Amino acid sequence: MSLTGFEVEIQREVDGGLTTEDMTLSMGPQHPSTHGVLRFVVRADGEVMKEAIPDIGYLHRSIEKISEKVGWHGFMPYTDRVDYVAAMFCNQGWAMAAERLAGIEVPKRAEYCRIIAAEFNRIQSHLLSVGSMAMDIGAYTPFIHTVREREYINDLIEELCGARLTFNYMRIGGVAWDIPPGWREKALSFLERFEPLIDEYNALISYNKIYTERLRNVAAISAQEAIDYNLVGPNLRGSGVRYDVRRDLPYSVYPELDFDVPVGSGELGTLGDCFDRYMVRMREMKESCKILRQCLAQLPQGPVIAKVARNFKPAAGDCYVRIESARGDMGWYVVSDGTAFPHRCKIRTGSFAAMSIIQKVSRNLMIADLIAVIASFDLVAPEIDR
Amino acid sequence: MGLGTYLRNIKDAALTIGDGMAVTFSHLVRKPFTLQYPDRLPDGVRVQDTLPFRYRGMLEVDLEICTACLACERACPIDCIVIEAEKDKAAGGLVMTRFDIDMAKCMYCGLCSEPCPTGSIHHTPEFEGADYSLESLVRKFVKAPVIAYKPKKGGETDPEIAPILERGMRYVNEFASPEGGSTD
Amino acid sequence: MQELVDSLVADGFVPGGLPLWVAYLGAMLVFGGIVVFVFILPIAGVTTWVERRVAGRIQSRIGPNRTGPAGFLQWLADGIKSVLKEDIVPSAADVPLFKLAPYVVMTGFVAAFVVVPFGGPLIIADLNVGILYLTAVTALVVVGILMAGWASNNKWSLLGGIRSAAQIVSYEIPAGLSILPVVMLAGTLSMQGIIGHQGWAPWTWHVFDNPFTFFAFFILFVSALAEGNRTPFDLPEAESELVMGFATEYSGLRNLLFFMAEWGNLYVIGAVVTTLFLGGWQIPLALADHPVPRIVLQFAIFFAKAYFWVFVAVWLRWTLPRIRVDQMMIMCWKYLVPIAFVNFMGTAVWMVLFPAGVPAVRVLLSLTAAGLLVAFARRVVFHVRRALLTREELSFNPLSTARVMSRG
Repeated sequence: MSLTGFEVEIQREVDGGLTTEDMTLSMGPQHPSTHGVLRFVVRADGEVMKEAIPDIGYLHRSIEKISEKVGWHGFMPYTDRVDYVAAMFCNQGWAMAAERLAGIEVPKRAEYCRIIAAEFNRIQSHLLSVGSMAMDIGAYTPFIHTVREREYINDLIEELCGARLTFNYMRIGGVAWDIPPGWREKALSFLERFEPLIDEYNALISYNKIYTERLRNVAAISAQEAIDYNLVGPNLRGSGVRYDVRRDLPYSVYPELDFDVPVGSGELGTLGDCFDRYMVRMREMKESCKILRQCLAQLPQGPVIAKVARNFKPAAGDCYVRIESARGDMGWYVVSDGTAFPHRCKIRTGSFAAMSIIQKVSRNLMIADLIAVIASFDLVAPEIDR
Repeated sequence: MGLGTYLRNIKDAALTIGDGMAVTFSHLVRKPFTLQYPDRLPDGVRVQDTLPFRYRGMLEVDLEICTACLACERACPIDCIVIEAEKDKAAGGLVMTRFDIDMAKCMYCGLCSEPCPTGSIHHTPEFEGADYSLESLVRKFVKAPVIAYKPKKGGETDPEIAPILERGMRYVNEFASPEGGSTD
Repeated sequence: MQELVDSLVADGFVPGGLPLWVAYLGAMLVFGGIVVFVFILPIAGVTTWVERRVAGRIQSRIGPNRTGPAGFLQWLADGIKSVLKEDIVPSAADVPLFKLAPYVVMTGFVAAFVVVPFGGPLIIADLNVGILYLTAVTALVVVGILMAGWASNNKWSLLGGIRSAAQIVSYEIPAGLSILPVVMLAGTLSMQGIIGHQGWAPWTWHVFDNPFTFFAFFILFVSALAEGNRTPFDLPEAESELVMGFATEYSGLRNLLFFMAEWGNLYVIGAVVTTLFLGGWQIPLALADHPVPRIVLQFAIFFAKAYFWVFVAVWLRWTLPRIRVDQMMIMCWKYLVPIAFVNFMGTAVWMVLFPAGVPAVRVLLSLTAAGLLVAFARRVVFHVRRALLTREELSFNPLSTARVMSRG
């Protein structure tokens, strides 16, 4: 049976004169819980899946090609749209790539501003991920609560850079706006409000028996498998691998900051199951609060942007920049040919890698579990398709 | 499954469900967070007035202080600004005949207001721009050909232009510069 | 009701010459119409209002508040809208089954109201097999849901329909087993009889009679939730997986009927639980010679008790996530059924050992319940205190980050 460009092999069984056939479902591009426009072709025997084949490309916008047309400075707002849930990291990746090619040094205060913005964005992204995971499992309330907390961070960042979703905060050489007066106090009072709420989410949903029963022992991925399939970020750390780009290949001023890297430990089931990945994200939010407090306290004086020509022409060459985005190790491979327009820009995102393991992990799961697996990988469709 | 595990499952279920119910009940007795925009706001408040100064709403151009340097047109990554300006010896400088911004294309990135020398193109806190036709979203700022502004050494003295220039410069100075220090 | 009609005929209210069965038929239609249109439909509608407001407050937001005072007429507006919507029947659907399914579900739900006591003598028919009839008739819903799932010609609807059939049929067992201890205690299946066996005071209710009926109450409530397709058992209409499960292809009036059946069923659940375990409409005052205030008070008490459990069902819906199909089956057959059996045998043994019950145990159980409520209230206060660490100046309300932009 063919489903638009797909050949799906159906298994037929003959049992005492009765022929049974697999059911082919299309968890189509329009679905309430596929985190964007994704499609899974599910071959199932009733409730139990034999296979879930991912089908991507519904959200492809040729962003990488656009970089070749708009130039170095002009591409910054487009990087927001690569992953609009965690846009600061994409800004940072592009800025770092351009700076490395041109050999620009970013002032200290600018690095701190970048990290403050990035860690707030990490909290926002994890809040959305945790909330929508709870919503997919069936609890609608935690989603609204986490989105409510996101509104506070949205307000803070709106005061900082003027926008609530597509920030365009960073520039090549630093950041575009300095921290306004009074902002630090607001940020600190937000952190004071937010940290106890992580415990409230744990009481409401994380350790709820029904929720843990849905997530434990589902799609357990061993550490070796996770490394083989190129998982990154909380997906990798959920399987027990303590790899974090901020710690292992440090960039910016992360070496001056003190934070832990939470790792999944199979606390309620197998190591590397959905619950581990979920708890890694909850704990990372607490770590981000720690980082933010340190940054806000240690903020040095100085300019927040280096002198960069309006007509930016970095030397010809290429570079690969890795940053720890909310979804993991995001790689920016940028090739310059010495002109004002990049020659090629390739973005490697964590969600794209996670798509490949879904087909393997989905064997003998139930359809309800597929939803949990998709949510636990924190897939965002714009990042997969760009 | 032993009897111990069995009973522990029941106990865990009861306790965690009870705790979750306590959390949701505690929300029932707290105040809701909804801001009922647009028709049940506190008296006389316009949301636009409460937005931060840096808010990147719809673009606006103060033609009185536009120098027709075309920096914004060059900076825009999506080519939504179209300016036509010609040197006119008789008028004594550049004369602008066209300054169109296609708000349907604009992505509110702010890259145009950054290089503006006087702050004539800036984002306003206006966000209510929805309209019924796509053509009406092209803002045409030049009604009649206008002479470009020339910044005066020693500050602006014209009492009509000075406040506009001051506000524009305040907007532009919000952007960071390599020489600038910090205040916080 | 039959006595009422007989007395009306004897008093000469019925025009002469009409055979008795016509009088009965007329009375059935009139009473049925009154109950359906004055009670059931508004109850189903008002329950949606309660659900949306409670859901809103649980989620830190206001629910509907524009149509009518505090949004009270929202359900009416939604109902009228649903009726006026375009009637879409999928082209490949099995049309007769597709059109019939919502009516089967509604029948199963409305027929249950025949034996639901509203207070005092207000009951359409006090059948002597009351509670058995109710259990049997609510199982009709399964047929309707299966028809809906199959006839939609949609694989997702089919999954939803099959799940629902498995769920409802499975949870009939623990529900039935939890009803049996009460029936044994009261000695009758009739609803009014069971209420008559209890008193107005909490320690006279069946739920506190002995430890076995105490647990049977919770099992009945959970099983009833499962039969009503409510979260945490709403797999048949799991929104995040199946869009709307068996009801995906339904629009307009048919959709409305499905969901009115669901919300109205909540009241049936509340009524059943109140009747069997919580003393029904018993009031402390005798008021023997003031029938109208007595009936009004009984109605109010019964309604309050039943509606409290509707509120609990709504509260649970917005707190708990959804159970997976196989876990639901495990829970039913490995947890609820054995415990329900233990309750059943335990009540039987208790009745043999203590034919008149043990007053001390009754009081002790009532105090335990009160203690649990107090512990719960303290936990709520703990959560409220922990969340109020915020300082008021930090509010996401943009009116507090007020910076007026002067235009020069």
